[in-house]
Amino acid sequence: MDLNFLFVSMLNGVVYGAFLLLTSLGLSLVFGLGRVVNFAHGALYALGGYALLAVIRGAGVGYWPALLLAPLLVVPIAIAIERTTIHPIRHRSDIYTLLVTFGISFVIIGAIEYVWGTGTTLLKPPQPFVSTVDIFGNQYPLYRLVAAGVSLLVSAGVFAVIQLTPVGLRIRAITDDPGMAEALGVNTKWLLTLVFGCAAGLAAFAGALGAPIFAIHPEMGMSILLDSFLAVILGGLGNLPGSAIGAFVVALTKSIGGGYIADWSTAVLFGVVAIALIFRPTGVFGRGRVA
Amino acid sequence: MRELHVTMFGLLAATLMAGASGWASAQEPIKIGVLTVRSGPAKPIGDDILAGIETATRMYGPVLGRQVELVVEESLFNPQQAVTKATKLVQQNQVAGILGTSTIETLALLSVADRLGVPIITSNSGSAAITRERCNKWVFRTNAEDLMSVVSLQELVKGTPRLQDAKWFTLGHDYPWSRLVASSVKGVKNLKYVGEAFAPLDTTDWAPFIAQARAAGATAVIMPVTLGTPLLQFIQQANEFGLTKDAVLVSPIGLPDWVVDKLGPTSTHVVSAGSWAAWRYEESNPTTKAFNEAFYKEHGRVAGMQALQSASAALMLYNAMTKAGSAEPPAVVGALETIEVQTPVGPLKFQPGGRQALVPLFLGPYEKLDSPRYGASFGQRAEALPASKSLPKPASEYGCKLK
Repeated sequence: MDLNFLFVSMLNGVVYGAFLLLTSLGLSLVFGLGRVVNFAHGALYALGGYALLAVIRGAGVGYWPALLLAPLLVVPIAIAIERTTIHPIRHRSDIYTLLVTFGISFVIIGAIEYVWGTGTTLLKPPQPFVSTVDIFGNQYPLYRLVAAGVSLLVSAGVFAVIQLTPVGLRIRAITDDPGMAEALGVNTKWLLTLVFGCAAGLAAFAGALGAPIFAIHPEMGMSILLDSFLAVILGGLGNLPGSAIGAFVVALTKSIGGGYIADWSTAVLFGVVAIALIFRPTGVFGRGRVA
Repeated sequence: MRELHVTMFGLLAATLMAGASGWASAQEPIKIGVLTVRSGPAKPIGDDILAGIETATRMYGPVLGRQVELVVEESLFNPQQAVTKATKLVQQNQVAGILGTSTIETLALLSVADRLGVPIITSNSGSAAITRERCNKWVFRTNAEDLMSVVSLQELVKGTPRLQDAKWFTLGHDYPWSRLVASSVKGVKNLKYVGEAFAPLDTTDWAPFIAQARAAGATAVIMPVTLGTPLLQFIQQANEFGLTKDAVLVSPIGLPDWVVDKLGPTSTHVVSAGSWAAWRYEESNPTTKAFNEAFYKEHGRVAGMQALQSASAALMLYNAMTKAGSAEPPAVVGALETIEVQTPVGPLKFQPGGRQALVPLFLGPYEKLDSPRYGASFGQRAEALPASKSLPKPASEYGCKLK
């Protein structure tokens, strides 16, 4: 076995896993708190890419300021979506919100196509990260490493908020026992809305961060949505640490599988998830724990 | 006397009615169906196909003294939708022919072509079977098919020392066409083939597969990747990883020009092993130049590969109608078998006893133009490989037996 190739494949997996981590955390948070299986997450990821484009072109700012502004444009949209479509049917079974978010994803993609068209936009990585770096004799794109680092930092920030802040305490309380949390004065309804908005912001941030790598097009969120769901299901729906580990398992399986047995990589990925669920039906780390 | 008046009045009325009816018939447009993708990631391909047909229709003018009306239907790149919409075009809109289909739609229409009973001229279908073992009297094709492209690839390698000495790697999507391309590369004598990787169709991150090509030491990577966004992503990421510094990227059927436009300078790392059309063929073909100018005037952009091809298909259809003196489908099909037409992809006629156009393929690298033309700064240098090399035998020898 060529160890150098294995190393590159693992590096690819870690980089992709860092992206997946951002999207998986949002998906997991929303399910953990509100039992909402958010199929619109991928479309919100795409909206992040287009928001970035709009800020760069519209406001004429550089990539990094646009990366910070883009999610802020998506959050209010997500909050409006939550209040008008998901909030009114929260008391119904999970299938209702699943179907509604599925529909919302088509509405968002349709709106993107209406406003920006169906074409693909290539975005160059920002200077000075357009070059490659030498890692043990392998040329690796610098921007991918930087973007993975940023993803990991933001994800660490999400964990810190959940673990160390009063808001995080409330989120954990709702996840554990929403009824009790409400009885103790936690405003669960608005917190759920807020978390939905923040999760969308995370997805949008990931979409904007990944734009120079994966290109911007209306359906850019579909593939990552599938991988994120696999990560969340593998780690346990609503379980944040589980989702984080799930993200890296999915990404590494795809990357190493793609490197060695490209034709079978998708089958291997689903096989890994299926085997894990046979032995741990609620995910490897169990369901519903935010932290 | 009274009887005479009645008779004269009757004759006058009959003449007026016949005249009115004839006038109406002369004014009634000939309807042509355009069945192509109008939404989703592949929409730019459908845009080019439609735009090419529109320009060709305007350039040709009235057919048999009647205006041509295009009836556009969305295929969604879906076989069932294609059959439904084609049936609607024929039964409801009463079109005299169908243009614009790609491989997925054409394969689906083959099974219902006899029932539809109108000529279908595809300009964007690769599958060789369409005009070989599955050929149908109603279904014609103007673009080169996959097995013609295989010959073209072999010709490119023969004529390019750099590619003869290269270490070849196939990196494409996991579907039959990729394997056909891979086997064609492997079939070239004395070629050094170092590996292949076939990525799932939903691949957005090509890093694991690019890593394989690099690990194999590839210096020529042939890329049977789905045209459109995936191809853009692949080439961009190959460039990002520095693969384009070590290896030349070979496109089996060329790049759509909207992809070239988006890639910009990165497109110069690509060589086409056999594009279905190339706008720079205008340098040796006046019909291409005339079309390019008309297309730019109408659409404000350069005529892409699919536009040039679809325009050629439309011109074949209109010329066949003119030659037949009728838009009746059987007469048009008969005329299509014998006509030779100057088109933007060169002089075209269909294979004797078959349905495949004897169309050239266009080999050559993408390069920066000295000065922008039709809004394009980059374009493929187009060296035509005649059909006599890629399709030298009669249709029956390729398995086409028309009923």
